Amino acid sequence: MKSKNKGKDFGIFALPGMFCFFAVVIIPFIYGVYLTFTDWDGVAEVKNFIGLANFQKVIEDHEFWTSMLLTFKYVILVVLLVNIIAFAIAYLLTRGFKGQNFFRAGFFTPNLIGGIVLGYIWQFVFSRVFVNIGESTGWSLFEASWLSDPNKAFAAMVLVSVWQLSGYMILIYVAGFMGLSEDVMEAASIDGASGWLKMRKIVLPLMMSSITICLFLTLSRAFMVYDVNLSLTAGGPYGTTEMAAMHVYEKAFTSRQFGAGQAEALILFIVVACISGLQVYLTKKQEVEA
Amino acid sequence: MNQKKIGGTKRKVQNVIAMAVLIVIFITYMFPFLMVLINSLKQKRDIIKSPFSWLFTIKGLSFDNFVNAFNQMDFLNAFKNSLIVTVSATVLVTILGTMLAYYIVRHNNKISKITFALMVASMIIPFQAIMIPLVSIYGGTLNILNHRITLIFMHTGFSMAMSVFMFHGFIKGNVPIALEEAAYIDGCTHIQTFFKIVFPLLKPTISTMVILNAMSFWNDFLLPSLVLTDKKLLTLPLSTYSFYGTYSADYGTIMAGLLLCVIPIMILYVALQKQIIGGVVAGAVK
Amino acid sequence: MKRKMAAKVIAAGLVVAMTAVGLSGCTFGFASDPDDPNEVEEEIPIDMSVDSFQYDSSLNGTSITLLNSKAEIQVALEEMGKVFEEKSGVHVEVMPVTDGESPYTKVVSLYNSGTPPTLSILDTTDVIALAEEKGEDLSGENWTAEAEDYLTKVNGKVYSFPLCIEGRGIIYNKAAIEEALGEEFDPSSIKTREDFTEILEELVAAGVEKPISVAKEDWSLGAHLLQYIYETYDGTSAGAQEIIEEIKDGSLDLESYDRMTGFLDTFDVLKKYNVAKADPLGADYDEMAIDLADGKTVFWVNGNWAWPNLEEAGAEKEDEYGFLPFFMSDDETDFANQMIQGSPSKQIMMDGQMASEEEKAAAREFLNWIVYSEIGQQMLVNTCNLIPPFQNNPYEPADPLSRDIYEKVQRGEAFNASAIVPNDHWSVLGAAMQKYLAGRSDREELIGSIEDYWAEQE
Repeated sequence: MKSKNKGKDFGIFALPGMFCFFAVVIIPFIYGVYLTFTDWDGVAEVKNFIGLANFQKVIEDHEFWTSMLLTFKYVILVVLLVNIIAFAIAYLLTRGFKGQNFFRAGFFTPNLIGGIVLGYIWQFVFSRVFVNIGESTGWSLFEASWLSDPNKAFAAMVLVSVWQLSGYMILIYVAGFMGLSEDVMEAASIDGASGWLKMRKIVLPLMMSSITICLFLTLSRAFMVYDVNLSLTAGGPYGTTEMAAMHVYEKAFTSRQFGAGQAEALILFIVVACISGLQVYLTKKQEVEA
Repeated sequence: MNQKKIGGTKRKVQNVIAMAVLIVIFITYMFPFLMVLINSLKQKRDIIKSPFSWLFTIKGLSFDNFVNAFNQMDFLNAFKNSLIVTVSATVLVTILGTMLAYYIVRHNNKISKITFALMVASMIIPFQAIMIPLVSIYGGTLNILNHRITLIFMHTGFSMAMSVFMFHGFIKGNVPIALEEAAYIDGCTHIQTFFKIVFPLLKPTISTMVILNAMSFWNDFLLPSLVLTDKKLLTLPLSTYSFYGTYSADYGTIMAGLLLCVIPIMILYVALQKQIIGGVVAGAVK
Repeated sequence: MKRKMAAKVIAAGLVVAMTAVGLSGCTFGFASDPDDPNEVEEEIPIDMSVDSFQYDSSLNGTSITLLNSKAEIQVALEEMGKVFEEKSGVHVEVMPVTDGESPYTKVVSLYNSGTPPTLSILDTTDVIALAEEKGEDLSGENWTAEAEDYLTKVNGKVYSFPLCIEGRGIIYNKAAIEEALGEEFDPSSIKTREDFTEILEELVAAGVEKPISVAKEDWSLGAHLLQYIYETYDGTSAGAQEIIEEIKDGSLDLESYDRMTGFLDTFDVLKKYNVAKADPLGADYDEMAIDLADGKTVFWVNGNWAWPNLEEAGAEKEDEYGFLPFFMSDDETDFANQMIQGSPSKQIMMDGQMASEEEKAAAREFLNWIVYSEIGQQMLVNTCNLIPPFQNNPYEPADPLSRDIYEKVQRGEAFNASAIVPNDHWSVLGAAMQKYLAGRSDREELIGSIEDYWAEQE
């Protein structure tokens, strides 16, 4: 593009989109960061500058770090499971099956339901449907509600998140597979004996850009899990499944330590930024230019 | 049919196994949805005492829940609100997002780099962290809450990062610069080139993003609940609020209301799915 | 090919089924009355013929907002707002707070957005947190004289309107007990924890294996149950405050505090006879209502707000349900064993910061209308199904639970002690109580968490 058009191009192409983004996300975020240095409680008229006192509180908040640890555990499980399952299903769904469109629509349905409602449905399934099945079949797995045992409640969180996120990721992986040429797909699927090898040597490298995106999305979403946490387990039983984002929210609004909550949100953000930055850097290196 | 034989029996067996696996996973995926469908037709007592029993064994099977959900939600009005917000925001974010992504790909300058980095980073900001600052800026300072247009603007802003990110990847990989150069030689302006050459090439990604964005706008609860308080402006998810009580939930109505909310977006998905495939096939055949 | 056909048929079937469901929903929707299942059935019609209330005609056309955090009366409040508008010309927009967001969060975000509700229904702790910063001083209102015992004061001033009295204890289903035992049941004969344990034993012997329902919800365990240890100190709010201060500064040893041990002894009895003993944290609130109405259980530890659930589960207004106190000891003369806890849990705060004078006047009129107009009085009791804290309200609640509380209040068999605890008390200590209920912690650990919680408070 010619240089004299630069300003005009910027104005037409970039500015409107940037304006929306900056006005809605960046400015409030900066304002939010500023609030972490004040003693504002969300209500008061005056905001006093108190320096790093809120961050001091965060360091002392053991429950925050416990919830961070739990979140790490959860994120690792969810990221692995979601991507393996979504990749495999997307692969099966792009093999030219009859009726694959129907399946694709089906796998996508979890995404049609918003997070909070989805958690309620699963809560209903875990606490009523499964228990009901347990009563009539005597299966010990379903004897008691999963949500009343810390480990099983955690498993339920992972299960529901995998169920929900994999639908989204299937869509991206399917798009990725469809972007591959027919030859690659044929090559990868015809020969059963060396199929696995070809998958690794040919398909996987070509799919790296989709994998980068999906890993990034699952990572950040899993770290930010809130809706499902709230409506499925509400942090229970007795606070054992409270993830970082939920803790932040509780801190700010239930315990009414707005500044400390905002500071915890900032720390959470920095942690996630570092981890996903590292992930994108590492997987980008594996990508081959298409 | 002849074509199939090339692959041989082995492939057939493979296919059957793959199909079986798919069906099993599929049923697992659909299970909660099936529960919603079945229980939306039952009375509360049956839902609680025997959620798993099939329709025909239940006495009080009825459409009452749907009637109640429909009336309590003021369905037609909420549907209209949701439609206006979702369609406007989706169109806006698609056009502005593709343009911004295109600019960032083709202009490798500082502004592009910084904007793109900020966008990627912003995707991991917890919404709770900007919720209060957001309302205090738009409500307290600017005082423009409680308008549909504010909500549309915010939806656009919040989904911008993700959309630009996706479009950016696609433009970088799949839109050859040679095509554009040819267009400039033919005397097209940048805008014309973009809408005539680049935009149509983005069709597969656009379809995907339209679905993803439309869905999140359609289902979003937290943001609209902060922006809209006027009853006449409520969107579908907001209109189901009254089914969730403090102490217990009205399961039957919730499930019926849920289906009423989901059906329109389901239809959009089924419609657009053909587009996605169509776009890809057209690209492959060329 | 068959596969494809099958898939297509299923797909088509699914779509058709869903659309059919949707469509018939629509047509039914238009054809039927807008009958609302959430609405409390108005068996007692509101008598509109007499209305001696003086409306201020200058307020005609004013519009006020009312934030409602009591979801179960949303429809009733809308109804009330409509009637008030017809009479006074003041429009009342009732805004709900949904499950998943706390009333406090909602109010705070509304203040930040510059559109706070004129009136907000809040819990007492929220009122205390917001009152001096945002609330309008209501100390001079006439209705304060009608509900003197139920006012909440912040530094000597009244900032909130007590909307209702809520009582809690152990709900019994009289008919179910009598059927099981084959003899008359007189609730007043149960005077101590010992008597209570005895009747439980009799019930078990008579075939009611697990006679009690105990909710697992943290608000129930952490707020409604655990707070007995503060509230029964001497049955007053001041006493509750005193004991909290003593726990805070460490001068009271909880291990040997008789209300603590007394509370836990009774709680252990509840645990032992809990219908969900095998999986106490899997208990479902709606199922507990059904079980009690069906007579599968005969007791439910809860409050009068449980009535809509019981009614939905099949209980009738004529059925005999009522409350036993939450026994704290084996001493017959202990007031906690004779009286039931009944206090104003929900309060209406008026915005004193952003509201215009006209809006404030309209809001004042609405509150006065609830207290003084014949229609408002009736609607508070019969439409909203609340127990009025105002002595000038002649109407009696219609459902058995509220009526029992109402009568106990009238007879002086209720004590009003509100423990003012920090907002996260119910969730933090509710979790500790859940752990104890599930048998995953012992008394020592539970008491330890209570002490830790208070030690952290400033």
